[in-house]
Amino acid sequence: MDLKQLCEFHAPSGDEYKLRAALLEEAKKLCGDENVRIDRMGNVLCFKKGTEIGKPHVCVSAHMDEVGFIIVGATEDGLLKFRCVGGIDPRVIVSKRVLVGEDLIPGVIGAMAIHLQSAADRQRVLDYDGLYIDIGAKDKAEATAKCPPATYAYFDTPYTPFGDNFVCAKALDDRVGCYAMLRLMEESFPCDVTFAFVTGEEIGLRGATGAGYTVRPDIAVILEGTSANDMGDVPPQFRVCEAGKGICVSFMDGASIANRTLYRDMLKIAEENGVPHQVKRATTGGNDAGAYQRAAAGCRTIALSVPCRYIHSGVSVAHFDDIEAQYALTRAFLKNV
Amino acid sequence: MKTEDFLREVVALPGVTGNEGAVAQYIAKAFEPFCDEVTVDGLNSVIGHIKGDGPKVMLCAHLDEIGLMVAKIEKDGALRMRNVGGVDPRILPGMRVTVHGKETLMGVIGAKPPHLLTAADRAKNYNREDLYIDLGMSPERVNELVQVGDFVTLEYAFTPLLNNRYSTKSVDDRGCVAILLRAMELLQKTAHTADLYFVATCQEEIGSYGAATAGFGVDPEIGIALDVCHAATPGAPALATHELGSVVATKGPFINRYLRKKLDEIAHEINVEVQSGVAARGTSTDADSLGIVRGGVPTVLLELPLKYMHTSVELFDMHAVTECARLLAAYCSAIDESWRDELWT
Repeated sequence: MDLKQLCEFHAPSGDEYKLRAALLEEAKKLCGDENVRIDRMGNVLCFKKGTEIGKPHVCVSAHMDEVGFIIVGATEDGLLKFRCVGGIDPRVIVSKRVLVGEDLIPGVIGAMAIHLQSAADRQRVLDYDGLYIDIGAKDKAEATAKCPPATYAYFDTPYTPFGDNFVCAKALDDRVGCYAMLRLMEESFPCDVTFAFVTGEEIGLRGATGAGYTVRPDIAVILEGTSANDMGDVPPQFRVCEAGKGICVSFMDGASIANRTLYRDMLKIAEENGVPHQVKRATTGGNDAGAYQRAAAGCRTIALSVPCRYIHSGVSVAHFDDIEAQYALTRAFLKNV
Repeated sequence: MKTEDFLREVVALPGVTGNEGAVAQYIAKAFEPFCDEVTVDGLNSVIGHIKGDGPKVMLCAHLDEIGLMVAKIEKDGALRMRNVGGVDPRILPGMRVTVHGKETLMGVIGAKPPHLLTAADRAKNYNREDLYIDLGMSPERVNELVQVGDFVTLEYAFTPLLNNRYSTKSVDDRGCVAILLRAMELLQKTAHTADLYFVATCQEEIGSYGAATAGFGVDPEIGIALDVCHAATPGAPALATHELGSVVATKGPFINRYLRKKLDEIAHEINVEVQSGVAARGTSTDADSLGIVRGGVPTVLLELPLKYMHTSVELFDMHAVTECARLLAAYCSAIDESWRDELWT
């Protein structure tokens, strides 16, 4: 499976069924049926026996879920009310297209025409109470019959390479990590490796919490996408990392502090192997490293993230060189553990 | 050509006000099979002539669209932008756009990630000045391919919805150009005496300049303008909106009373539902400028109801389009010499 196919799956947290099934099939091919399973949190866990003994057990983990929407009701005139699943700034979804439910019913998120807005309307932020999805339904009965409450809705944006080796797509967070893992699973490493495709990261690191307990690795390497925030008016102190400047190694974020030795080793391995890399300069946000670090008796963790501009929108942007660097550094690390 | 296919293709073409060449050429080709003569005038209005011996009538709908223009290229290659026509800045964050530079380039208007937003950030809308277009290119390449003044079109998709409704960009006003085209097709099977000029006008969104200049060239006795109006959406003032499913005909001081009355009569005869609207002053459509071309042109206005006007997801009902075309064809076919004497009765 390539990155385009991975991004085209619709899998918001709690609705990962189709992607999970596809990953399971792919993993069986790469690791053998007997080494692949779905655990109690719906994670896909894939074990690769190491070629040497006495090495630590490493878990490489990426989350399969993405941010999306869920229907909560309909208005009398047939418009769907909805909420976000995972954090989506409502200001980025006005005048955008979505697909609703398993049948992928097309819908649009409209807004009152600018001609009709009062000065106060123009100032008002359209939040989830003020937004709705229009599927063309005539009334509440039709809308609810087609899209009952709890139906998921997805960004409808294509996967498009553009500019100088950049790609624009939904769900780059964290299909980039899933993509790197599928590539890594093609070979064996000196150490035992469990590759974990986990669920529910966007709603509170839920899958990883279970996977960490079940796998109990010595080391967990989290492959992620992280905010870049590197263009326009952002002052230097708020720039997290830069797209196109290499894989981003975290020393700390809102959910965990990286193991100091792992962090230093990782920078050294990147240096020695000529992998473009940078250090994540902000400590906001959080990822599955927090869950692994504190699962069961705890383990050492480090996160390697691809810088993503406009993350958690339908138009996240990443650089192919950074996507390659995530794979290259993880591979070099697994060879050197 | 099916109306749906025409619309899918015509809204995909760039035609930001002042830069309508591509869309004008396409519409001229679409008009050709139904006209005795098609010309594109000096400003990019398309004029299709179907000859007749009776009163000279000009029908018009505008082909230009709202969009953006590159205003500045920042040191990091980010493009700052200005509006062309009324673009609501609230629709821009998270939008894919097309920059028409030396090459056609995809760009993204990004926004800060939610993880880094403060409570103060969340409480206010983005100003257009805070936003930028990211081309995913080095500043050197951006400067090579893009200049200040290049046009930018909004995200394009053509989305069929339930109940024969559709959502796309630039239905304002190419939805009405589609009505003109469909009416021309119907007129092939209907006798008419009027000398008919079907005009897709340019430069409506910045002040209806194309209707004035094309109107000067055509010099009609009767004007029929078509544009979009607002369909009801939550929070919109009820008096300013209409039902989505049928065409609206405006009344008021800018609209010729006789022409408007004939519209009701003919709609009744052929059983087309028409909603009435009222414009107490100007209509903010081509009807206003067409009405005062040369010595004046008695004009009537038909409007297609639209949800989410001036966004990239303008939503309309195809039934209203086809019914309006049916009405327009019957109306054109009914115009004869006798109307000249009745215009001010």
